Amino acid sequence: MKKPLRWLIGILVFIAIWQIASLLINKSIILPAPVQVFTELAWLLTDRLVWIAALETAWKVLLALILVLLAGVSSGLLLGLNEALRDSSRPIIMVIQAVPVISWLTLVLFTWGPGWEGPVFIAFLSLIPIAILTTVSGVQSLDLELLEMARLYQVDRLTIIKDIYLGSLLPFIIAIIDVTIGQAWKVILVAEYLAGNSGLGVMILSARYEVNSIKLYAVTLLAVILGITTERMLKSSMGRVSKRWLSAL
Amino acid sequence: MAKCVVARDLTKSFENLPVLSGLNLEVDAGERLILLGASGAGKTTLLRIIAGLDYPASGHLKVAAQRIGFVFQEPRLIPWRTVRENLLFVNRQGEADRLLEQLQLKGFENYYPAQLSGGMKQRVNLARALIIKPALLLLDEAFSSLDPPVKMSILDDLIKQWQNNRFTIISVTHDLKEGLYMADRAVILDSSTGQIGHDIKIDIDGQRSIFSPHLLQLEAQVLQLMTQAAAI
Repeated sequence: MKKPLRWLIGILVFIAIWQIASLLINKSIILPAPVQVFTELAWLLTDRLVWIAALETAWKVLLALILVLLAGVSSGLLLGLNEALRDSSRPIIMVIQAVPVISWLTLVLFTWGPGWEGPVFIAFLSLIPIAILTTVSGVQSLDLELLEMARLYQVDRLTIIKDIYLGSLLPFIIAIIDVTIGQAWKVILVAEYLAGNSGLGVMILSARYEVNSIKLYAVTLLAVILGITTERMLKSSMGRVSKRWLSAL
Repeated sequence: MAKCVVARDLTKSFENLPVLSGLNLEVDAGERLILLGASGAGKTTLLRIIAGLDYPASGHLKVAAQRIGFVFQEPRLIPWRTVRENLLFVNRQGEADRLLEQLQLKGFENYYPAQLSGGMKQRVNLARALIIKPALLLLDEAFSSLDPPVKMSILDDLIKQWQNNRFTIISVTHDLKEGLYMADRAVILDSSTGQIGHDIKIDIDGQRSIFSPHLLQLEAQVLQLMTQAAAI
């Protein structure tokens, strides 16, 4: 059986279970029927504001990812190379990991008020430890013999970083994107819900105020579809890069 | 004759185990020297000290070579860089294509190391050492893992390069045939003293052959000396 067909069967089974569950529960405020949600979604998609909200969320996800990659990989590289710095920064990373998101959210509201900065900042703080620690692992698994060869031939530091360090780190950078993209969507939606002024998270909040569970499910479905689509697009382009890299091994 | 390497009273220990104990060695510029000896006699250690990859505990070392090429036992090629890129990594202005042609790697410039055989990887390893136009070329059991025909073919290419450029060669090897085929001089390190046990001039005129009676006789003599040095 072809892969897309298996996918389609999986989706149909999911919708069937959903339909049966909604019939059994028989309370559309808790679990509306799929047809109600799909109708609401179709209606939402005709609204220009919904598309704008989706784009608002998507660019925040993208911005957070770019910032996480830039800051995470460069500081991971630095910490990986310097043991003293790595040891002394460990408590800071642990604190960032341990502080509850709601504390950050409150701080964000005090600092910026509702806006795009809060969700991006929250996503950044939630994901940066993953990026740093994964990069540190990458640096620690570097081939020391390659570095010795480069030292022998007096290769300049910039070329060593570009050709050996970044080359070695590429699979780790791909792993960071792989892990963080899905989480970024979730964190941004939560942060928009609690401290944002635009985006799909705010739409979910408005569904709550309207006590409109069909809209809640429809926006959630839209967020899931967008999340999966961007994740697959990014993974497929990263897959092409890693395929070239892997074929070299 | 100008000296390329002068080592005086070199000492080196690993975890209180002396490897080199007051070793003295002089290598003329343009000379081809092989370092022989039992495992643990300090051949690779000496080579790494000459390359600047390791330091002696005491003694003096003078290396009159600005550019040092090193053919490692394992190729140490960057896996995600092509053959040409691996060469240009150590010398961006180097004539990679010309060298690859001379070392029978024409057509493989854009291959990745994983796509090459062991022999070809060692050819790239050698080409990378030569692209910097070394005054001193160090080989650390560079061809030990290769089949004899491949090894002889690479050795012939190396000898051609030496004939054209006359750099100094210091080669660590366990393969006597390989060493005697290309060297002007063989030095046997004595593991019991941590010094040079025997210094043998290899005086063979003209084209060498591993099957020549002179080389076979020399091989037997050197083997005997090595056995004595290891047995003490």
